[in-house]
Amino acid sequence: MAVPPGVNAKVFAQAVREFEAAVGKEWVFTSDEDVALYRDAYSVLWGEPEERLASAAVAPDRLEQVQQVVKIANAHKIPIYPVSTGRNLGYGGSAPNYSGSVVLDLKRMNRILEVNERNAWCLVEPGVSYFDLVRHIDEKGYKLWVDIPDPGWGSPIGNALDHGGGYTQPMFRNHFDSHCGMEVVLADGDVLRTGMGAMPGAKSWQEYKFGYGPWIDGMFSQSNFGVVTKMGFWLVPLPDAYLTGTVTVSKWNDLIPLVDTLNYLENSGVVNGMPGLGMPIRQGTPPDPALRGLLEAATGGDASGIDAYAARNARACWSCTVKFYGPQKAIAASWEFAKEKFAAAIPGARFEDGESYKLPLTPEQREKVHKPEFGIPSLETFSIGARSETNPTPSSGHAWFSPIIPRNGEAIFEANKVFADAARKLDLAFFGFSLPTTYWMRSFIFLFGFPVTRDAASNKKNREGFKQLVDICAQHGWGEYRTAPAYQDAVMNTYSFNNHALRRFHERVKDAVDPNGILSAGRYGIWPKHLRGTRA
Amino acid sequence: MSSRRHFLQVGITASALPFALTNLQAALPQASAEAAAPVNEPAARIFYKVIVDERIPESLRFGQHMREMGSDVHAIRGDITDLWFHDLSAQWKREPVAIAGLTEHGPLFCLERLAWDHRMRVVFRAEHRLDADCVLHEVSGPEAVIQRVPDLGSAGVAWTTQAARLVSRCHDGRPPAAVARAVTRVAHSGDREPLLSWVIAPRA
Repeated sequence: MAVPPGVNAKVFAQAVREFEAAVGKEWVFTSDEDVALYRDAYSVLWGEPEERLASAAVAPDRLEQVQQVVKIANAHKIPIYPVSTGRNLGYGGSAPNYSGSVVLDLKRMNRILEVNERNAWCLVEPGVSYFDLVRHIDEKGYKLWVDIPDPGWGSPIGNALDHGGGYTQPMFRNHFDSHCGMEVVLADGDVLRTGMGAMPGAKSWQEYKFGYGPWIDGMFSQSNFGVVTKMGFWLVPLPDAYLTGTVTVSKWNDLIPLVDTLNYLENSGVVNGMPGLGMPIRQGTPPDPALRGLLEAATGGDASGIDAYAARNARACWSCTVKFYGPQKAIAASWEFAKEKFAAAIPGARFEDGESYKLPLTPEQREKVHKPEFGIPSLETFSIGARSETNPTPSSGHAWFSPIIPRNGEAIFEANKVFADAARKLDLAFFGFSLPTTYWMRSFIFLFGFPVTRDAASNKKNREGFKQLVDICAQHGWGEYRTAPAYQDAVMNTYSFNNHALRRFHERVKDAVDPNGILSAGRYGIWPKHLRGTRA
Repeated sequence: MSSRRHFLQVGITASALPFALTNLQAALPQASAEAAAPVNEPAARIFYKVIVDERIPESLRFGQHMREMGSDVHAIRGDITDLWFHDLSAQWKREPVAIAGLTEHGPLFCLERLAWDHRMRVVFRAEHRLDADCVLHEVSGPEAVIQRVPDLGSAGVAWTTQAARLVSRCHDGRPPAAVARAVTRVAHSGDREPLLSWVIAPRA
């Protein structure tokens, strides 16, 4: 049995016995095979001495057991690392930041405590998966959707706490934003409820977020200040219909008014689905080899060649697919309004009607659509072959590099120039011109999957490249929104305004609410006092 | 974990007629004929479901043989979502039962992780790398099954049938105890994702 660092083996054995007494012997895992299940399948440190590994795992099934486990850990100063369903692939899986931690596996806490169809909310435990919640809603016949990430096998609580996103309307796509109220076990075993839940007998815990006084829910996301044991979420009332339309524009610099117009339409609520930017000029298999040099020149600031190529071949440089949920007549009118706005902003813009569905979808329609956009959890992404010249063994996974940039076309151009320069400098072969995703309304996120292999030398090179890119992005004012444990210190280091005032504040909070530093040491760069000096 | 394993380096190379994947219909009767079980073999394990990918000819042949041995075959197209959502999740909640398959990596990756939550494990895993003129097999499983891995090398175009036989001999829920490799000389078309045959079973 592995032992957490700095913990006496006899003390750990005693703690394990106490865990067993609290949750039942069969729910404490110490065998090599059991503990290996908590390895991060996509670990960028796979097989290396620095790989983040658990020492054991304990799986309570109710609040009182969580409190007992936390109290035991606190008494014996055992590091613990809570996970909900523990998927989170590409951002760390269920492996702890601090090797030797005991995983507090909350999968058995899988109760759907309430779904309120009338006001479209739910209250769930951490072990509830998106599959569980959608099945429950289907079985009850509720006219509700859940906003789902892709893949959709994780837990609403875990995904929201890591700031995950989905694919329907903006007020639901940001999963932390769409939560309402939480229950949290603190490091000493005390339990609190946030928002209206702080009032005994509250009737609106899932209907008003803020309660009274400072709103502290954010303190428990991407952090290590408590163990979230319940969370409320706002659900999507089944829309009447869904519609998409695509605008294409011919010139390279048309991207700037294209994004500006899109932003206007989203920020004013006209476009309420997740839009998608595209590069039709690059379409075709195989891509025209002549394009490569033209794209590089355009990325470097000279768009004359690519504009001429686009004109000569009657191809558009950019596309933007906008999506609408709502009453069928209203969203048809919204699309007409959007076309007017794009046409006014970009002479020569062309339009094409896309998918149009009266909801709910028929079984045949379900087979054709991108399921998460319709509240349907899917694992389809794992069936897409991802093998390529630069990623010959995709089965080993990836680590997401995901900087946030401003939501404008100039930023897309600048970021691509920076990425291209960095890729050359760092010998990273996989950056072509990339477009950001639009999960959030007010910013863009680039998502680059850094390949993970089972080859330590290759992983080392990628890790170094990743960290340098983090710094390069920070020099341009772009920061990661989320990252795997191996990079969390590096990313936290870039949020350094006023001599790392934010991290220093996190550490003051950590010291106050978890003085023994037992909860998720190192998560998102927050280390307890006794480990602080030993970390980057 | 690897220290517990007994490594058998088999490295069998056997000759076989080149096989064009497009000639599936012609191949099926031959594969089926070669599937006849040797005498004195224990009864084949019947699985709750055998998962095949209908886009992959080798997977279909594997499924055909598993069906002949009595298992219910479920076809997917790379995505296990419907299988999970409408069948396995409820079944495994009621009672964890063994499944098997021959698929690409993605379905096994998902099913293995979902199985862990029901105290199940992969007890047999064979990777089949499809090179231009051969299939390279790396197999981990029960020791008694591993001893039959050379049959894969000599099976020629019927290697999927032999893979089905190996799978059907996995009768318990213990972790893989041994590893072996074999090479089957057969021709394949195009650059292909590796295939995996596998068994997921309740832990013994």
